[in-house]
This record gives sequence, C-alpha cells and structure tokens, in this order.
Amino acid sequence: MTTSEAGAQPALPRGRADRPAPRGHALAGKRADEPPAPGPLAASTRRAGGWRGAATPWLFQAPVLVSLAVWVYGPLVFTGVLSLLDWDLISPHPEFVGLTNYRQLVEDPEFGNAVLRTGLYVLALLPFATVVPMALAIMLWKRPGRASGIYRSLLFVPVMLAPVANALSWRFVLDPLGGIVNEVFGGLGLPQRDWLGDPSFALPAITLITAAKFVAMHLLLYGAALAAVDRRSLDAARVDGATEWEITRHLVVPQLARTTALLAFLCAVFAGQWTFTNIVVLTDGGPDGTTDNVYFRLFQYAFTFFDAGTGAAAAMMIVAGLALAFAVVSLPRRRRATG
Amino acid sequence: MPPADRTAPAVTAADGASSGALATAIPLRRQPMPTRSMTENPTGGAAAVRGPAARRDRRWWRAARTAGRHGVLVAVVLAMLFPTLWALNTSFKPTSDVYDSSPLPIPATLANYRAAIDAFPIWQLLLNSFVTAAGVTVLHLLAGVLAGWSFVRYAHRGQRVVSALVLVALVVPPQALIIPDFLLVARLGWRDTFVGLIVPQLSTCSLAVLLLRQHILTVPATLLGAATLDGATDGEILRHVVLPLLRPALGAVAIVVFITTWNEFLWPALVAPSPEHTTVQMGLQLFQNQEGPEYGPLLAGAMLATIPIALIYALASRRITDAFLHSGLR
Amino acid sequence: MTSHVKGQDQMRQRTRWGTRLVPALLAVAGLLAAAACGGTTDDEKPVAATGAATPNADKPVTISFLSYNYGTPGIGGKGTQSLLDAFHKAHPNITVKPQGVAVADVLTRLRTDTAAGSPPDVAQIGWSKMAEAVRTLPIVPVQKAAPADEWSTHVAGLSPSIMKAVTQDGVVAAMPYTMSIPVMYINADLFKAAGLDPANPPKTLDDVRAAGLAIKKATGKEGAYVAVVDSGKSDYLTQSVIASAGGSLVGSDGSVTLDQKPAVDALTAVAGLTSSGAMPKVDTTAAVASFTKGEMGMLVGSTALLVSAQQAAEGHFTLTTAPFPQVKAGTPARPTYSGAGLAILAKDPDRQRAAWEFIKFITSDAGFEIITSQIGYLPLRQTIETKLADTPTVKLLKPALDQLATVTPYTSFPSDHANEAVVTLQDDAVEPIVLRGADPAGTLSSVADKIRKLVG
Repeated sequence: MTTSEAGAQPALPRGRADRPAPRGHALAGKRADEPPAPGPLAASTRRAGGWRGAATPWLFQAPVLVSLAVWVYGPLVFTGVLSLLDWDLISPHPEFVGLTNYRQLVEDPEFGNAVLRTGLYVLALLPFATVVPMALAIMLWKRPGRASGIYRSLLFVPVMLAPVANALSWRFVLDPLGGIVNEVFGGLGLPQRDWLGDPSFALPAITLITAAKFVAMHLLLYGAALAAVDRRSLDAARVDGATEWEITRHLVVPQLARTTALLAFLCAVFAGQWTFTNIVVLTDGGPDGTTDNVYFRLFQYAFTFFDAGTGAAAAMMIVAGLALAFAVVSLPRRRRATG
Repeated sequence: MPPADRTAPAVTAADGASSGALATAIPLRRQPMPTRSMTENPTGGAAAVRGPAARRDRRWWRAARTAGRHGVLVAVVLAMLFPTLWALNTSFKPTSDVYDSSPLPIPATLANYRAAIDAFPIWQLLLNSFVTAAGVTVLHLLAGVLAGWSFVRYAHRGQRVVSALVLVALVVPPQALIIPDFLLVARLGWRDTFVGLIVPQLSTCSLAVLLLRQHILTVPATLLGAATLDGATDGEILRHVVLPLLRPALGAVAIVVFITTWNEFLWPALVAPSPEHTTVQMGLQLFQNQEGPEYGPLLAGAMLATIPIALIYALASRRITDAFLHSGLR
Repeated sequence: MTSHVKGQDQMRQRTRWGTRLVPALLAVAGLLAAAACGGTTDDEKPVAATGAATPNADKPVTISFLSYNYGTPGIGGKGTQSLLDAFHKAHPNITVKPQGVAVADVLTRLRTDTAAGSPPDVAQIGWSKMAEAVRTLPIVPVQKAAPADEWSTHVAGLSPSIMKAVTQDGVVAAMPYTMSIPVMYINADLFKAAGLDPANPPKTLDDVRAAGLAIKKATGKEGAYVAVVDSGKSDYLTQSVIASAGGSLVGSDGSVTLDQKPAVDALTAVAGLTSSGAMPKVDTTAAVASFTKGEMGMLVGSTALLVSAQQAAEGHFTLTTAPFPQVKAGTPARPTYSGAGLAILAKDPDRQRAAWEFIKFITSDAGFEIITSQIGYLPLRQTIETKLADTPTVKLLKPALDQLATVTPYTSFPSDHANEAVVTLQDDAVEPIVLRGADPAGTLSSVADKIRKLVG
C-alpha cells in the first residue's frame, strides 16, 4: 500500500502531519499505531504457540496464494518462456529467439506510442477515479436519506449495462452521419465531427466514455469507505463551529486518504484495461493509432496477429513496467518509514 | 488560519478514529444522536447563537446550497445515464431506426426483445451467468476476507513477499493469462464445466484482498486488543468483531466482483462455449454478425442482462450503510 | 492415397508434438502436478491408418461444426439451422453438433482448441484468414478428404471461376460456402430525386463521383461510399479496387507490389471521391448505417449485407444494385470475394468421412438453395441461380453473379505476419489516404516498405 499512499500524500498534508507514526508500509505491514504493550499479535501467537502459530497466517493466505500460483504466476512463467520463443502454440518447432521479441517491441514505434497513450489514459482518468467520485460520495454521505439512495443507485447504472452495449450506444450517439451529438452541435451552429474518427478527438472521447465506469465503481468503493467513518465526530466539529467545507476538508477527506491511494493505484492498473473494451468496439486503436494502449496492442499481437512470442514479451514488459513504477513510487516512503 | 485552528482538535481526534482512538473515545464524550436530525440541521449549533437576520440569511444560503447540490447531482446523473438511456431508447427502435438520432423510440417496437429472447436460450444463459458470477464472488470474498484478515492480524517472515505477490498479480494483463489458463483448464478436463468457468477466475482475487484488507485496517485496534484480552480466539474475533464491521465493504466488493465477472466474455467464449454453460455476454457477442449486425436485439439482450445485476446491486448495496450501525460500538 | 495417409501421419506427429510441449511448458511453470502429468488425449490413441476411403458408412458418427453463423439471431443463424435440419434428415446416422462463435474469435477458438488437442471437425473460416489457417492448423484439404470420383461430380456444378480462384497449388483446401463479392447498392429514390436514372447506373468511379455530387446537391443527402475502410479490417475491397486498376497487393513471385502504379491509381481514385465531397469521410459502419437509413445514394460493399439491406429498405426506399464499378474507364472491374469456406480438421477417418458428407450436402443444390434464399450469399451453383432467378434476392444479386466470371482470387501475404500486414495496410495506408487526405503514392510506398520488413 505504500505505493499508493505516497501518491496521495501531497494532496493531504494536513491529515498526515497529525499522524503520530507511520503506518504499516508493506501490504501486510504491521500496524505501527497499535498499542504497543500486549498487542493482539503477541497474544495470539503466544497462545497458539509453536509451529501452529507460525503456520496460521499461511493457512489464512493459502487460498489466495494457491489461486495466484496456479492461475497467475504459473501462466506468467509460461508467458515468460513464451516471450523467448518464436512460436504460435501449435507448430511442432518452437524456435528459441532469445530477447528478439523484446528488442523488436522496444524498437517498434507503435509499441512506444501505445505506452505513451496508456500513460495519457491513466493521467486523464485519474481525476475520475479519485476526486470526482470522492466529491460525489461525500456529498451523498453527508445527507443520507432517500434522495441520496436514489442518486447513488442512478450513478451506478453505467456499470450495470454490458460494456459492449455501453460502447455501442456511444457509437450511435457519436455517429458522424446524424448521431444525436452532431445533430445538437449542428443545431447550435457548432462544428460537426467524426468524433471517434478524428485523431485529435478520439482519445478524449474514449477517455470520457471510460470515465463513467471509474466514477460509478469508485463512488461505490468510497461509499463503503465512508460507511466506516463515524458521523459523530463530524457533529462534534459542527458544535465547535466548523463550516461544512472545513469539516469535509479536514475531517472527512483525511480519513479517505488510504482509500484514495488505493483507488489511484487501481486507476493506474485499470485505466488501460477498462479502456480496452471501448477501444475494441469503437476505434480499434485508430485513427492513426491515437487511441491505442498497451493492452490493446498485446491483444492484437496475441489474438489478431497470432504472434504469441511478441504478445508474451509485451505482457512481460507491462508487468515489469508497472511493478517497477510502483516500486519507485513507494521507495521514498519506505525509506522514510524505516529511517 | 483561524478556521483550521478551530477544527484542529477535531481533526486530531478524527484522524485517530481510523487508527482506533476515537471510536471508543467519542461515545464517552457525547450521546450518540440520531443521524437524521443531525444532518438536517447541519449548521444548527452555530446559527442558534446569531440574530434573526443572520438566521434568515443562513436559511436562504442553505436553500441555495441545497438547490446547487441537487443541480450538480442531477447534471452528473444525466451525463452518466445518457448512454444507458440511449441504449434503452434504441432497444425499442425498429431496425431501420437504430442509427436514428430521435431521443424517443417512435414508433416503438418490442421486436428486438422478441428477437433476443428467440435467438437463443437467453434464460438459460442468464442463469449460467448468474451461477458463474455468484460462484466467483463467493470465492473472492472468502479468499479476500481470510487473506485480508491475516495480513492485518499476523506478521510473519514472508509477508513482504506475499503482499508483493498479491499486488503484482493485479497488474498482470488478463489478455496474457487467457491462453495459458485455457490450456491448463483443458488439461484438467474442465472445459465446458462451471468449475472451469469459475475457479480460474480466482486469478483476479487480488482486488478483493486489497479492498478488504483496506477495510479491516480501519477496525479499531483497541477493539481487537480488548477482544483478545477477553479471551476470544482469532476465529471468534474475525466472526464477531471484524465481519460485522465489514458489512459495507463486503457489499461493495461483492458488487464489484459480481459485475466484473458478469461482464466477462472472452473467457466463457473459450472455456465453455456450449449453451449449457456459456454466459449471456457470449450470447450478446453473436449479435455482431457478418450479415448486418443486429444492434437492436443486442441492446435489448443487454437490457435484459442488466436486470439480475440491478437486483444484486439492490440487495448488496443495502449493506453499504454505516458500519457502526451494525457493530457493537454504539 | 498413400501420399494422403503420409500427410496425415505427419499431421498427427505435429499435433502430438504441439500438445506435448504445452504441458511441458506448464510444468516448467511449476503448475499443478495434474497439469504437468497430463492425460492421454485423443490424438495419442492409435488411429487406424485406413484413410478416408474405407469408412464405416453405417456407424453413427457425431462431428462438431464451428460456425460463426450458427446461433446468431439473424438470418445467418436461421439459415444455418435450416441447413443442419435438412442434413440430419438426409443423413440420420451422422449427428452434427454445431458450435457458435463470434466472427471475430473464429481463429482464436480454432487455435486454442487445436493447442488443447480438440479442434472441431469442420470449421467455417473467412477467406481473409484462410491462408493463415491452412498454414498453421491441422487442416485436411477438403479435396483430399473426398473420394476422387465424388469430388469431381460434386464440384462439376460449382462456379468454375470461384473453384479456380480458391485452388492453391492444385488443391482446394476449403470448400467455398458462404461467399460474397462487392456490388454497388443504389437508393433508386435518391437517384430519381437528383434526376439520375437508376436503370443506368454509374459504370466507373468517375461516374460514381459525378452521380454522388449530383445526389448531394439535389437532395442534401450523402452521395456515395466505397467501403474500402472496412470496420473489420478486412482488405477484400482494397484488393478489389486495386485488382480492378490492374494491380495487386502481392505479385505472382510473392513480392509486395502495393506501392506500384495500379495500386496508387486505385486509392487515388477512391480518395478523389472523399476529397470532392461525393463520399463522406467516415468508416464503413457509419456509411452502412447511413445507407440503410435511406440517407445515401450509393454504397459499394459486400453482398453479405444484401438481405439486411433489403429488410431495411422495405417500405422506406427502392433498393437496386449495379455491378462493381470500373476503377479505370475501359478496364473491366475485377472484384475479389469475401465470405467463408468450410475446412476439415477431423483426424479420425470416420469423422473425416462424415465431415465430407456434411460439406458435400450443404454445398449441394439443396444446400445452396437455403444459403442463397435464406442468408443471401451467392448461389455458387448455376442450377440454383436459375431456379431462384425470379426471387427478389437473386434479382438483386444478378449484377454480382455476372461479375463472378472475372473474379480475382483473394491474395494473402505469404508470411507468418500476414494478418499484421493486412491491419497495417488498412490502418496505415487505406484509412489515412481515403479518409484523411494522405498522399497516396508516398503513404503506400512507406507502408509497403513496412510490410516488406514484416513479411520478408
């Protein structure tokens, strides 16, 4: 969690400054703010004792570890081997080609373009993954009641519709020859466009279409995080004369810091994956590669060009790249925590 | 910065809340108030000490703000709902009007719904989708709660590694896992079975682990400590202290996992393509055919496919209310 | 016969190697013991090397049929079901188990199923993917799965030009099945409104431009569209215009020729339609939508769309058709085909035999009657063309059927990267040239270099 919390930090100096001690910094980090004396950990391990005590966490984690080993890491090693081969999964003679697939990818301007575009998607979607749903969630949380319930449900609707159908209805709406958006623009005397076919508008269009999914999903997750916030603390501040803005800014937002950090992290991971369906249905990476991203590229290599080796190399680079990026982001924080 | 100074004590206290100090401290200081009345009179405390003019001013200000709030929310809702409403609109249009820009389906027709229902055993597909999504959701929640709890509760040597493994699993592109996972399922003889559909989708359980761990972290440590001192076993603490507090999180994670699974199509299309097991998303894919795509029936089918999700949302989102209402903390 | 059996043995050898490698790699990956050990799969069972000639005709056989038409809600799905029903009635001891698949996923399904050791026995594969499928999948050429005498009797009634076009190295790998070629759809009402005669349609791309501009001026609707910017990234229409200008993508020696003069001329001509305003700068999906709404005068596209265009036009506008226009005045148009063929992947001789019976039936007179009348694909048999000549569908198909005689074979880049080359051609050359005014000669030249590097 390190990773993401560090990212959120600059925005939330206040809440941070008041923290007595750094929190657990690895995903499974110890709770540094726990009462030090007879901590739950100490107590439980003492009681369980011996090897059983040591085995307990592993037992709890076994389902996840086994699942990931079988369905993620095994296949990832497989993919790693595949990335060194020139093989189509079927032919009898896989050819070992070393790092050729990687070198070709690095040299391919289209892959470089896809990396860049993926970064653009992440940056453009970040506000829709954090600030926007947080603001909406707080707004709704502060005034609970039927109206808020209705708003909340309606705001969740965009992710209920099948992604293919959602993307398709955008195609109708944005249709260059007589779609409603162009009709309205024409009526207002504004220029009509082929929104998804114009190199300078296609990426913003895909971004906005995907943004709705982030807002809806993250609104739900912020709602769950707010459910763990005790409203009574707000009331205390109100009695003290704090304005609503102050309460939001200094009381509520800091308590959402961890969630915001996690959701920012999820945005970095899912921006590419959630734009994927929209790209497949609406633009196929075009026009002129402006809506491409690395996941779509990987899909092209693996499922359209049937170039399993290059697809595997792309996958390995995505994993390595993201893992490295998160490690770099988390590093300063780790140092501070230990030093 | 006077306002900040005024709220400073509250901030410290609230900040403590997430780390456990406030939750027990507040009830001692103050009687819990019914949430409703508190929120309907948000500035009451301050207004009471001012004059009538100021009060009138305040009331006007409040009304304007409420109107503004609803204005913003309605605008956001409309923007967010637009494509769905358009899909709904289009699903009632005859084939020749699908690309029409009319905001209402005139003339309206049920032909698309009839086509979608006649096209394939849609109820069977919906049932298959439901079984698959529910199965995956249950497995994710189970794995997530156990792992999330153990991350928070126990420290052990391999923890760093384990946590890194969970994080990195999230960034592995699903497009890269499909083929090796498929080959594995084929070797195991799980093709065209629900087991083959469901179990490999544990590959995405990292998300549930992370989200649930996040929420377990907000359980006040003092509470856990107290329970331990009372002699409760870890299992009892998990069941009686942590799980009730996790209600909202479980509801939210269940919705997210259910919907994500429900909307998956490449995996069911490869692993279980037969109508006995395949999902409704795979069915929807078939509408995009070569001889003139059937967009109307596709959207009608998609509309039918949202009904179970809406039900799940209605059920699960009821849990996303204040955690404290369901815990022993009041 | 002997060569056939030998070929089969090699095939078995290949797939066995392939399927052994997969678990081996999975084992490397440290997967479950169960996965690593694996089990005996079908292909490892000894197969009686009897070949296709001595089948047990009376034994009930079940074969699987992968089809992207099956199970679709429209005409394709219904037509395929009719074919299956008719076949089951005629051959009660052969059961065909159909498997539906999204059209975009056909090759993915075939490859993964093959890698897993259980490909379908018969598959419907699009022509644009056929070369790749034949090269990589254990396809038994349909001509070799059929007894020689049955083969010659069967193909005797089929369109000779199509059969010639799909013959590669003297062998037909896949049986022409749901075939289409490009044709010009005309909205006769818009023609009349612009003072044009739909009975005397434009013959060249220059005529198309003039008529398109006239329609646009008179009615305010869109003029014409030549669907080279295919939404599914197929290049059959690109090939059609280039072939009609006397060129090709690939020369007879396998060299990339898409930057030579005929190709440049062809795309310059199409780009001339957009730059003049006669053709809207949109992709095929939007153009087809516009035409079916009655908002466009002419659409040059696949005959696969015919029945849905007929349905959309009914009660809205009068739909007529005309031959694929000449790209250069005086040079006859030579469109290529699209659609799909049927390939056999069955390994077991009994199932191969049953697969042939199935293919033979659905491409017989009875089969093509259903294919044409219900789905709208070309009647490849003269008997059916004559029999259905008075139906509205075949009347509209007539201009296309007349052009079948001069049909050009669909060409594939001779390489493992053929699909990538096609996508590169469509994305980096055709779309920018036709929709965004890129320079035809320069763009084609740089894209040709890129493709040479790719396939070379």
